[in-house]
Amino acid sequence: MPDLTASAPRRPRVVGFLCDWAVSSEGLVREDGTMRDLPNVTLIKIPCSGFVRPSWLEFALRSGADGAFVCGCPLGDCFNRLGNNLIADRVVQMRRRLERQKFQPDRVATIFYGLHDGPEFVAAVRAFCERIAQLPAPPPAPARRPAAGAPAGAGGAEGASREPQAGPAPGREEP
Amino acid sequence: MYKRLLDRLLRWTLGLDVWINRIYPPDFNPLYYTGGLSNLFLTILVLSGIFLFLYYVPSFNEAYTSIQYITGAPPFVANAVPYGQIIRGIHRYASDGFIIVILLHFFRNWFTERFRFSRDEPWISGMMLLLFSGFIGVTGYVLVWDQRSQLLVAMTGHTLAAIPVVGGAFQFLLFGGAGTTGLLLPRMLFLHVGPATALYVFLWWHYVRIRHPKVWPPAVWTLFSLGAVFLAAALIPAVSQALASTGAPPRFLAVDWFFLIPYVSLNYLTPAVLVLLAVVIVVYGLYIPYQLPETPAEMGIRDPGVAQVIDANCTGCELCYFDCPYNAIVMVPTPHPGVTKAAQARKLLAIVLESRCVECGICIGACPFEALELPGYLEQDIQEKVVAACRT
Ligand code: HEM
Ligand code: SF4
Ligand code: SF4
Repeated sequence: MPDLTASAPRRPRVVGFLCDWAVSSEGLVREDGTMRDLPNVTLIKIPCSGFVRPSWLEFALRSGADGAFVCGCPLGDCFNRLGNNLIADRVVQMRRRLERQKFQPDRVATIFYGLHDGPEFVAAVRAFCERIAQLPAPPPAPARRPAAGAPAGAGGAEGASREPQAGPAPGREEP
Repeated sequence: MYKRLLDRLLRWTLGLDVWINRIYPPDFNPLYYTGGLSNLFLTILVLSGIFLFLYYVPSFNEAYTSIQYITGAPPFVANAVPYGQIIRGIHRYASDGFIIVILLHFFRNWFTERFRFSRDEPWISGMMLLLFSGFIGVTGYVLVWDQRSQLLVAMTGHTLAAIPVVGGAFQFLLFGGAGTTGLLLPRMLFLHVGPATALYVFLWWHYVRIRHPKVWPPAVWTLFSLGAVFLAAALIPAVSQALASTGAPPRFLAVDWFFLIPYVSLNYLTPAVLVLLAVVIVVYGLYIPYQLPETPAEMGIRDPGVAQVIDANCTGCELCYFDCPYNAIVMVPTPHPGVTKAAQARKLLAIVLESRCVECGICIGACPFEALELPGYLEQDIQEKVVAACRT
């Protein structure tokens, strides 16, 4: 697996939750769930953007992701009526919480694109990646037990240990 | 075949949305509020209808003149009834607007497949609303009792007569006897107001499974619709045609394309064909939700399964109950305390009504106590996927 990413440009590691009814993943993702155009982004399919527990975004950050986002249908057109509005609200609340926990809130985002808006979606994800690549690295986490289910290497590994993987994007600097 | 057509229609619908969203912020896309717009026009109709009802007299001799009186047409002083002309116009044009938005609502929900899984109930009640709305429109045009009304009655009678066996009985029921009897207009008045009231019963049914239905469009669109209706009422006064006469055979004079299309089609179809067509359309409409019996698996997505409450963890906080968009969660007094610390003092317990659950998982996102799960998407699986994603 490392060879896959090795050939690809090193960019921030991003986990995206993608609603089944929003952007069609056909032609967008590879077998292993990473995006064709952005190998640093892994998409996880979910039944509705509102299904995502905000804590999962936080879990992704704690597990070593540089950013996490949720993608749902355009606001107002959720297949399940309210899912995307709800997740938008929940992520806003969560960003406040993250601030207190010394994660940059900009590392989580919501993106809203419809079934056939693949190219726009990819562009938005790319913009998101570029934005978090500019962010200063998060301060090294206080000693914390690895999250349940996470391998020892991944849990609580913000900062130093992940540095080579996340890669020094040009604008990246220590706070 | 049908599937491909539906896919194409969905693509167009969403394409149109993208285009509109470029002009308006998505929160104001009028196509996202077709249900609310229907409700808005219905409210305008009810209010203006009550006003007209106060003056209308349902008899052959007075029906026509009572409406002329409301509008202040020649034999009467203008403005004898304050704003009568305007309000009649509002009632006329709001009804056209109503049919437009209700059809938009219908097609949009069809093309975006909002009838899937447990959503069939809003669809079926919606079909009832559609049918009744069309019927109310026609009885409304009969109430005017001008030549068009007479023609409508004649054509309806003619069409009903084409129904084998029960046709005559239908005619009798609808018109209160063979031909035009004195019962006709009172009956039409009832069949205009009664079904309009019934619409609210169907709306209750329509909303039972919908939490926080968006019953009003955004304020700008409310104002815009009101403005459009007022403007139309002022610029194009709603008028009756010549009084219905028993002698001369009436001819079609003016068509309201929104309500009277079936009658226009009688120029080309025989009554029997029209009846058949109407039955086919209605039956097909009711069948739409069941036409695509695709399970999530067949659609190429993982089957989430009905949401399950984990009894031990539920604290009765009601957050899932507030957020479930389909009213599928009810809170009941808890039969026993929960297991976790937070759940021990609970008073309520969440229950998922399986028949209403569309398996969206929104309640999972709402529950801060890990007391809900989708069998097909356990939290653990998601976390494993996240971890795997962070490792590659
Ligand atoms: C008097 C006419 C009608 C009114 C006032 C009305 C109003 C509404 C409203 C307010 C909603 C909730 C929208 C939301 O908040 O997401 C809704 C949903 C719905 N309507 Fe109607 N409606 C009408 C007629 C119809 C008709 C004719 C149909 C189609 C046969 C229909 C099918 C549906 C369906 C399937 C939903 C559920 C949408 C979803 O689950 O996202 N309605 N309606
Ligand atoms: S949100 Fe969770 S804890 Fe709260 S009532 Fe619902 S299931 Fe119970
Ligand atoms: S999955 Fe949850 S939120 Fe969605 S319909 Fe079922 S009970 Fe309601």
